[in-house]
Amino acid sequence: MSRSVKKGPCVDEKLMNKVMKQKDSGQKEPIKTWARSCTVVPEFVGHTFLIHNGKIFQKLFVAEDMVGHKLGEFSPTRIFRGHGGIKKKEMKALGR
Amino acid sequence: MPRIAGIDIPADKPIFISLTYIYGIGRTLSKKILKELNIDENLRAKNLHDDQLSALGAYIEKNYVVEGYLRRQENQNIALLKNIGSYRGLRHKMGLPVRGQRTSTNARTRKGKRRTVAGKKETPKG
Repeated sequence: MSRSVKKGPCVDEKLMNKVMKQKDSGQKEPIKTWARSCTVVPEFVGHTFLIHNGKIFQKLFVAEDMVGHKLGEFSPTRIFRGHGGIKKKEMKALGR
Repeated sequence: MPRIAGIDIPADKPIFISLTYIYGIGRTLSKKILKELNIDENLRAKNLHDDQLSALGAYIEKNYVVEGYLRRQENQNIALLKNIGSYRGLRHKMGLPVRGQRTSTNARTRKGKRRTVAGKKETPKG
């Protein structure tokens, strides 16, 4: 079910304040944030964020197309290193 | 066989079924369209007048996205998700379920036929 329109987009207030501050002062430094559930609003476009993924902060430069998605969508929490399987075993056997 | 919306050639079924042969039109939309144009939905497609057919074609083309255009639109939406590097885009790239379904078992529609991994032991239960 989608979010009620009445509420407006879910935007982290503190994060929004920081973006606005940067807008006023004109500087653009990456903003560190844990607010993965925060929606990307048009004000964010052109700013850089460091989004926590549970371990590290992943850098994201917000483009216009990203508006409407959540910040967390751009900072994957799992890394798939591939299934080991036969290839790895063969490599090991050859190495020995 | 009548032609509606480009390439589609529905046969001698009731017209509301025939219309669902067009990509992008299901039963609900089909009935809605026929009601809008005041055509009896149970008429066979072959018994429709030429002007009714052309009216259908024009109405569908004007108001709905179907067939090739719809397919292109879908592909564009997916390409956009991939380009911005969102989680959904990643799932599309990997060919895994996009909407949070489990992948430990099932998910065969996205993953395709089972590939047996040699030497893999059954996971113990409990």
